[in-house]
Amino acid sequence: MSELTRAQIRDLMGEVMKAQGKTLPSDDGADLREIGFRSLDFSELALRVEDEIGDELNFDAPGLRQIAKVGDVLDFIEQLQSA
Amino acid sequence: MTAKRRTTALIGDDNRVVVGGKTLTWRTLHKLPQLPSPAAVLVDNGADALAAVRHHAVHGTELLVATSSRVDLAMREELGESGFAVVIANGDEHSVTPAKLKRVEESGRVWLLTSGSTGRPKRIGHTLESLTTVRGQQQPRTWLVPYSPGTYAWWQVITISLTQADQGLVVIEPSELETWPAIAAEHGVTAASGTPTFWRQTIYRDTEALAKVPLEQITLGGEPVDQAILDRLHEIFPEARISWIYASSEVGASIVVHDGKAGFPKAWLDRDPDPEAERPILHVDGDELVISSPHHGAGLEGAHRTGDRVEFVDDRVLITGRLDTDEINVGGSKVSAGLVRNVLMAHPAVAWARVFARKAPLVGRMVAAEVVVDPDLGPITDADLVQWCTNRLPDYGVPRRIRFLAEIPQKETLKSDV
Repeated sequence: MSELTRAQIRDLMGEVMKAQGKTLPSDDGADLREIGFRSLDFSELALRVEDEIGDELNFDAPGLRQIAKVGDVLDFIEQLQSA
Repeated sequence: MTAKRRTTALIGDDNRVVVGGKTLTWRTLHKLPQLPSPAAVLVDNGADALAAVRHHAVHGTELLVATSSRVDLAMREELGESGFAVVIANGDEHSVTPAKLKRVEESGRVWLLTSGSTGRPKRIGHTLESLTTVRGQQQPRTWLVPYSPGTYAWWQVITISLTQADQGLVVIEPSELETWPAIAAEHGVTAASGTPTFWRQTIYRDTEALAKVPLEQITLGGEPVDQAILDRLHEIFPEARISWIYASSEVGASIVVHDGKAGFPKAWLDRDPDPEAERPILHVDGDELVISSPHHGAGLEGAHRTGDRVEFVDDRVLITGRLDTDEINVGGSKVSAGLVRNVLMAHPAVAWARVFARKAPLVGRMVAAEVVVDPDLGPITDADLVQWCTNRLPDYGVPRRIRFLAEIPQKETLKSDV
């Protein structure tokens, strides 16, 4: 399956939040700690993306970076898909 | 060399044996031609397996019996090189591949193949004596035999019928597994032993048909036994005694629990030896179950590390799964796959579940699950199950990816690798 669009990744992120009884704000600048998006949620999002694209994401390729806002998550997953 | 032989074998020679649609007795089963000794008899049906056992009981032939599907070509070669003639039994027709190594037989020896769940199957030496662990006088019963011939659980049921009067057998072939309750009801089966997966599948397929079987004794073993399946069976058969057994080819039947609860009492750990009671010594080292058993296989005397992981919950010791697969490390927090599975299975609409680790970024591993939903109580969504688990488990133990399967998977050993 082909790469997911940023909007599709956002939808999956919303599903992760919804499963935790939370809501994903529309603002990409929202702070992850404030909205309660934790490392377990990030990991789940990565698995959901992998299931959608039918392939493993390569987390070694882009190197570590700070992920503090919703937009950072979307940027990072987008980058991982093309890594 | 001669292994110790049990003199009480064949007390059950006139017990009823229903196999392949025929009602016979051990005595009137078809006879195998004189087998070479040692012989590995590979069978495709229950009648040939029983005939091989009776041949052994009468002649003392050194014997390994297994289904042909469990013994691949490489293993047949290994058996030949270990001195076994390989006999393919099929009713009145047999083919014999002579042993490649000539050696002195061990008269009275019975060989079992381990289930192979921890790697390639190993040969474990027993005798009818060591396999016969039910020795007290039993109520007259008719036993279901759903197990694959040659496994330890199969031998447990077979030896009851062979060594005690009034213990009949109804043998279920693999092709009959989906409809066994009808066969069992027709022949008045009153006792049945199976894996938790076997019981779950039966309940899942047709609870009404199961309830028509006049069961007085229900036994579970071969896999971790959770409270949900014990409770469900008790609901269907409130008058039956429900037991679970911890047994393996290596240590034999070592833990037998009749109180309807999962796990065994903590008080059973590290008790003083009691040779009169033939009671195994149970011990926990770290989180591994260690057993010294009088029912052990040949050469396996003393403490045996089972490779099974335990957890203490209140006054019980729960066996949660294999040490090498049960513990899931989620970002440094450890959770037992078996305990997560127990939580999922306790959901009223879940008929079966498997819990496993899935590689994940940031936390290393995450808990994932496969689930089969009871069609009468479903549908449910993954969000429902996540919520159920969130209320009962730490956040790192909640399965984050849940896949729904159409039916309960089951292997020839009646297990499902949970």
